[in-house]
Amino acid sequence: MGTTLLERELKRGSAELLILALLEQRQRHGYEIGRLIAERSDGAISFHVASLYPTLYRLEDKGLIEGRWVERAGQRRRRYYRLTAAGKKVLASQRDVWQTFVVALDRVARIRHA
Amino acid sequence: MPEWASAIRAALAAAGQTPDADVVEELTQHASSTYEAARADGRSHDAAVGDVHALLSSWCHDAASLRRRPRRPPIVEAPADATSPFAGIHRDAQYAIRLLKRQPGYAAVAIVTMALGIGATTSLFSVAYGVLLKPLPWPAADRIVRLTETRGGHVGRIRGTISNAAYNAWHTDHTTIEAIGGFRGVATDTAVTLSGMGEPVRMQRTVVTPSLFTVLKARPLRGRLFVNDDGIAGGNGKSNDVVILSYGLWREQFGGTDDAIDRVIQLDGRPFTIVGVMPADFVFPDRATRMWTPFAVAAVRGERGVLSLQIFGGLARLRPGISVQQAAAEGTARARGAPDAGLTIMALFGGNGPPEISASPALEAMTAEVRPAINVLLCAVALLLATATANVASLQLARASTRRREIAVRSALGASSGRIARQLLIESLLLGGAGGVVGICVAAGLNRALPSLLPTGFPRLDDIAVTAPVLAFAVVASVATSIAFGLVPAWHARRLNLVESLSEDGQAPVGGGSRSRVARTRTLIMAGQMALTCVLLVGAALLTRSFIALLHADRGYDPTNVLTARLPMPAAYLAERRTALLEALMQRIRVMPGVTHAAVGNALPFMSAGGFRAFKMRSSRNPGVQVDAQAMDRIVSSEYFAVMRLRLVAGRTLTDADVATSRPVVVVNRSFAQKYLSDRPIGETIPVGPDAHSDSEVVGIVEDMRQGEISDAPQSEIFRSYRQASMQPSSDPLFILRTSDDPVAHVATLRSLVRSEDASLALDSVMTMEERVVNSLARPRLYAVLLTTFAVFALVIAGVGLFGVLSYSVAQRSREIGVRTALGATTGDIVRLVLRQAAVATLGGVGIGLWASYAAVRAVSKLLYGVSAHDSVSFIVVPIVLACVAAIACVVPARRAARVDPLRALRAP
Repeated sequence: MGTTLLERELKRGSAELLILALLEQRQRHGYEIGRLIAERSDGAISFHVASLYPTLYRLEDKGLIEGRWVERAGQRRRRYYRLTAAGKKVLASQRDVWQTFVVALDRVARIRHA
Repeated sequence: MPEWASAIRAALAAAGQTPDADVVEELTQHASSTYEAARADGRSHDAAVGDVHALLSSWCHDAASLRRRPRRPPIVEAPADATSPFAGIHRDAQYAIRLLKRQPGYAAVAIVTMALGIGATTSLFSVAYGVLLKPLPWPAADRIVRLTETRGGHVGRIRGTISNAAYNAWHTDHTTIEAIGGFRGVATDTAVTLSGMGEPVRMQRTVVTPSLFTVLKARPLRGRLFVNDDGIAGGNGKSNDVVILSYGLWREQFGGTDDAIDRVIQLDGRPFTIVGVMPADFVFPDRATRMWTPFAVAAVRGERGVLSLQIFGGLARLRPGISVQQAAAEGTARARGAPDAGLTIMALFGGNGPPEISASPALEAMTAEVRPAINVLLCAVALLLATATANVASLQLARASTRRREIAVRSALGASSGRIARQLLIESLLLGGAGGVVGICVAAGLNRALPSLLPTGFPRLDDIAVTAPVLAFAVVASVATSIAFGLVPAWHARRLNLVESLSEDGQAPVGGGSRSRVARTRTLIMAGQMALTCVLLVGAALLTRSFIALLHADRGYDPTNVLTARLPMPAAYLAERRTALLEALMQRIRVMPGVTHAAVGNALPFMSAGGFRAFKMRSSRNPGVQVDAQAMDRIVSSEYFAVMRLRLVAGRTLTDADVATSRPVVVVNRSFAQKYLSDRPIGETIPVGPDAHSDSEVVGIVEDMRQGEISDAPQSEIFRSYRQASMQPSSDPLFILRTSDDPVAHVATLRSLVRSEDASLALDSVMTMEERVVNSLARPRLYAVLLTTFAVFALVIAGVGLFGVLSYSVAQRSREIGVRTALGATTGDIVRLVLRQAAVATLGGVGIGLWASYAAVRAVSKLLYGVSAHDSVSFIVVPIVLACVAAIACVVPARRAARVDPLRALRAP
C-alpha cells in the first residue's frame, strides 16, 4: 500500500507541476493540456485523464491558476486556464524542489528522471 | 457528431453527482474533441465513441472531485488578441457579411440607393473634372490665354474674337507674351470636302496662323508645321496651298505611311500639299478637327489702300510670371497703335470706339458657358447623394434598433461600446463599398451614354471619362457616405440601455423609452430628406418651365412644318450659273406635292445670318447728319416671308415682280426701321443697291426674328430679292420649304430633285426648322432633364424612406396600438397616430426645403429664361407633389396600423 501512496503522491506532484509548466507560456484549455502532457511525455507520465479536471479544479481552488470562458467568433466557447501570480511563484519553487529531489534520487538510486 | 452533454450528465448522476453546468460543458467539449481526434486519426465511429465512453467512465471513477469550489460568477474575457484597435476586423467583416446575407432585401435596397447616389455623383464629377478641372492638353497650358477684342464695349459678331488690326500690331512686336496665334473654325463654318480619295468626305478643318503652333508648343509627328510663307500663300489663294493632317485622318486615308508627306489632295476641288502630320494626342480646338490649313491674316491697309477687317479667334502664350492683366494692357496698347479699319469696324463689332483687348485663361474661356450649369448640377447631385445617404442611415438606424438585443448581449459579454460602434461602421462600410462599386458601374454606363446626351459643341467632350481622379472621388464619396450613415446607428448603440434591452419583453416600453429617441432621429432624417428633395424639385421645376418657355418663345418666325437644307456649290460656278440653277430648282420645288411655299436665301436662323453690311446714310430723323448704319444683308426669294411666316408690320414684302430690271427695293426689319428710319419709313431710300452707287426703296417692314438664341438682342436686317442682288459666292444658298404635312417626308424627293438637276451637287445639313430650334436648346434641355432626373431619384428615395420609417414604426408600436385600441381608440385615432409622424417630417421638411430653395435659386437664375427665380407656380406645385408622395407612402403603414388586432398584439411575446 505504501508504494501506491508514494506513487500517487509523486504522480500528483508531477501532474500539478506539469500543468503549471504548460500554462507558463500561455493560457490553454483542458483538452489541450491533456493532449500536450500525453505528447510531451511520450506517454511515460500518462496520468489518468480522470485526474486532469480534478487537478485543474484543485489548482484553481488553491488560486494557482484561473479558468475563464473565452469566446471566439465561429467557435464554441472554451474554458481557458492561465497561471496566476501565485501560480508562477509556486511553479518556480516546485521546480527547484523537484530538481533537488530528482538529483538526490539519481545519486541514491541511479534512476533517471524520465 | 454525437451530443455528449446529456450522456455525461446521466453518467455522473449515476455515480451520485450532479455537477455544475459549466463543468458539464467543459467535459462535453473534452469529449467531443476526443471523438474528433479519434475520427481524424482514421478510427471508426464506434471506436471513437468507445474512446469517449472510456473517458466517461474514468471521470465517473472520481466523480466527487469534479467540482469547482467556490462557484464563481462566469467571467468572460475578450480574445487575447483584442488589444489592438484593428484586431478582429476580419471577423467583424465576416459577421457583417453573414448578417447582410440574411437580409438580402435590406442589403439590396441600401446598395441600390447608394449606387444611384454615388453613380450619379461620380458621373457628374467626371464631367466637372474633364471639362472644368483637367488641364488643357498642351504643354504649360495654364499660360495660354484666349483674347477678346471689344470696340467701345461692343464684342465682335463672333464671340471671343480679335481683329486683324490688333493681331498684326501685336504679332510683330510683343513683350508680355511669347507668341500670338489666330484661328477660325469654331463658330465659323470651315468644313471642307476631301475628294479624289474614293468617296468624297466632308470633314472639319481649322484654319490657323503658323504662330498658333508656337503658342501651343506643338511638334509635328511627320513633316513640318506651317511657316510664315504658307500663311501668305494660303491667304492669296495661290495653288501651292498646304495642309497638315491629324493623326486619325493620316491613318485612315493614308495608312499612316511616310509617303503621305508632299502628296497633293483635293479640298473643295482645290489642290493642297500635305506638309505635316500631327501626333495622336494633338487636339485643336477639338477632336472633330481633322486637318489644319494656314490662315493669312490680312493687313488692314492692303494693296492700293483697300481697307480690310477680319475677326477670328486669338490665343496667346504669356511669358512666365506675366499676369493676364499685364498681357491685356499690352494688347490694348498695341491694338490702339494699329491702323484704323474705318467703317467695317461697325459691321463686325456693331459699334465703334478705341479697341480694348481682354485676356482670360484658355480653360476658363473655353468652359465659361457651361461652368454655372455644371456647378448647379454638381450641387444638385450632391443633394441627391445626401438624400440617399440619409435614407440608408435611416434604414441602418431601424435595423440597429431591431438589433438592440443582439447589441445588448454583446455588450453584456464585454464588448466595449467602441467595439459595437466599429461593428456597425464596418457593416455600413460594406454597404457603402458595395454601393460604391455598383455606383462606379452606373457611372461608367452613364458616361457611355453621355456623348449622345450632351449637346454638340459642349466643350471638351473627349475629356469626360472615368479616370483615376474620378475613381478616387468615387472611393472617397463611398467611404465618406458610409461613415456618415454608419455614425447615426453607432451613436445610438452607444447609448443603449442594457437592462431594458435584455428584459424578457425585448420590446420597447409602450410609448416611450429609447424607441422615441430613435424615432425622433429618424423623423429628423426624414425631414432632412424631404427638404433636400424639395430643393431639387424646385430647381427642376424652374429649369423645366424655363425650357418650355424657351421652346415656345416668340422668335418672330414659325418653325413648325418647315424643312431647311443647304446646297453647297463649287466656287467655279459663277453668278449666272448659280442663278439659273436656283431658278430651275425653285420652279420644280414649288410644284412638289405637299409643299405650300418654298424659298431660297442666304440667311436662316441658326445657319447663317446673311452678309454684314455697313454704310453711311442720311439720318431720316435729322436730315443734316450722316449716320453709320449697319445691317445683316439678307438675299432671299419672294416667298421667304411666307415660308418663315414673318409678320408684316407695314408696306409689302418682296414679290416676283421685283426683278433685276425693276426698281431696287428692300424690306427692313423693325429694329432697322427704329434705328435708322423716320416715322413714315415706307418709300424712304437706303444707300444699298445692286451696285455701289445705287439706292433701294424701302417697301416694307417685318417683325424682328431671332437669329440665334432667344436671349440675343435682335439685330438690324434688310431683305433684298435674289433677282436684284446676287448672293456672295462664299455663301451657299439655303432652301426653305413649308409643307402641309410632316416635312421629313419630303427629304428624299428634294434630294433626288437636286441630283437630277445637277448630278455633282448634294444637299447638306437637311433638317426641319423645329429640329434646329430644339438643337439650339440642347443645353437648357439637358440641364432640365438632368436636374429633373436627380429630383425624381430623390423623390423616390425619400418616398421609400418615409414608407420604411412608418412601416417600421407601426411594427414597433403594434403593442402600443393594441393597447390604445383595447382602451377604446378608434381606427381614425390610430391612423392619426401614424400620420402624425409623417406629417411632422413632411411639413417640417417641406418648410425648410422651401426656405432653402428660396435662398438657393439665385444660383440657377442665370440659367432661367422667361420664368422668375421665385416663380410662384414652382413654389406651389412642388409642396403639393411632395405632400402627394408622402400621402402615398403613408397609405400602407396606416392601413396596417388600423388593422392591428389588439388581442394578438397584446398576447405577442
